[in-house]
Amino acid sequence: MLSYPFMQNAFLVSIFISVLCPCIGVFLVLRRYSMIGDTLSHASLAGITIGLMYDKNPVLGAFIFTSICGALIEFLRKYFKKYTDLILSIVLALSVGTAITIISSGKLHTSADSFMFGSILTVTKTDMVMVMVLSVISVLTLVFLYHQMVYIAFDEEAAKVAGVKTGLINYVFFVLVASAISVSIRIVGVLVLSSMIALPVATALQLETGFKKTLIFSILFSMVDIMTGLIISYYLNVAPGGFTALVSVFVLIIVMAAKAIHSRAKAVSKI
Amino acid sequence: MIKAKNLTFSYKGTPPFVLDGISLEINSGEYVSVVGDNGCGKTTLMKLILGFLKPTNGNIETLSKKIGYVPQRSDSVSSGFPITVREMLNSYRKLLKIKDNSVVSESLDKVGLREQAGSLMGNLSGGQAQKALIARALLGSPELLILDEPSSGVDIDSQREIYALLKRLNTEQGLTIVSVEHNLNAAISNSTAIYHLHGGNGHFCTPQKYSEEYLGKGERNA
Repeated sequence: MLSYPFMQNAFLVSIFISVLCPCIGVFLVLRRYSMIGDTLSHASLAGITIGLMYDKNPVLGAFIFTSICGALIEFLRKYFKKYTDLILSIVLALSVGTAITIISSGKLHTSADSFMFGSILTVTKTDMVMVMVLSVISVLTLVFLYHQMVYIAFDEEAAKVAGVKTGLINYVFFVLVASAISVSIRIVGVLVLSSMIALPVATALQLETGFKKTLIFSILFSMVDIMTGLIISYYLNVAPGGFTALVSVFVLIIVMAAKAIHSRAKAVSKI
Repeated sequence: MIKAKNLTFSYKGTPPFVLDGISLEINSGEYVSVVGDNGCGKTTLMKLILGFLKPTNGNIETLSKKIGYVPQRSDSVSSGFPITVREMLNSYRKLLKIKDNSVVSESLDKVGLREQAGSLMGNLSGGQAQKALIARALLGSPELLILDEPSSGVDIDSQREIYALLKRLNTEQGLTIVSVEHNLNAAISNSTAIYHLHGGNGHFCTPQKYSEEYLGKGERNA
């Protein structure tokens, strides 16, 4: 399997996805922003179609357009304080409307289908470079802003008192979300991308441990989900995105069941 | 420490004003409890002091940059945010750019929470969580400590411990304290002055006078 260059590319990209997505996902989930991840995943489709229409790299198109949508969400949060879910409808209307209009116009030189469901075969050398550059920059930014991001998620007012420029970091955060999405769309696909951001974190949260350990377990679960999904989808000849999403749900159920059994055994031993 | 002159604030920028031309001065070493009915502007005043809100008219100035802030136990604490007490304090230490990590243990010792350092914030009792937030506020050796209803959701024993700690910090270390209070008994017992907000205006009085004038009129259960 690994003798095929396309599989080597797919594996390398998967490693980057499995590190970057949960790193961003943990902050999205803990800030109750999982649905923003879903909205931005769909927004990336518009960026892809714009990239394809102008014969530019679609991953770059997705990154730029998703970053703009992320900034728009942060900007609109101030105007729709009491109806934050409305913001997602607005951004979805803008981005999915753009994508459908471009696709239906017949001006695309290539099909956008592989980006919807994810594909192992379509990872190009240019994509690889884009994915690596975006991943490395994003992870370094996260390391640099780690404590600020933790505090904005945990207690934004306390972060402000400590002098954290929360407004600026929120914008940076949405650029990082856009980066994680752009890195993942080739393999995972737009439709199930948000599951890669949220599910490994949901699984790690079952372990009820501290922040750093939750982050580390999120990355481990993400690696298990994506690698298993990639390998099995290769042998079953199905889209990797869909199967990876199924694996991540399966892993979550296993961990939840193991936790329930452990709790019951603990309760029995106390009696 | 804090000076406000003709301070007016409205969330929409137009009347009716939550705070309507209040002037106040809080000096170093004071322990001021801000009291008043629900919706009278106590939390708004606190947010103006902290700089979270900008005055509609007038001005407010906080002379110290070293401010410790203890919020009401936020949703993050109660909803099982996966963070240990030590992680919470250590991250805050990094935000304050304090290099010496021993301040975390010292701060935990001050509030008597060293044994819970490895516990998740969400697993602490109300009193322990409040003490952890006070420990965080003390990290940067603040000159001004601002608290928003420190006894909210805290059992009686822990309330006693928390107020004893605040009193000690005020009298022994000279820490200036401004506390938004619903617990009027605690406000009267511990404060050096009480700031009573009512109808968009406020005035200072001594705890004794407040006790005689207002609590005598049946506000004890407010």
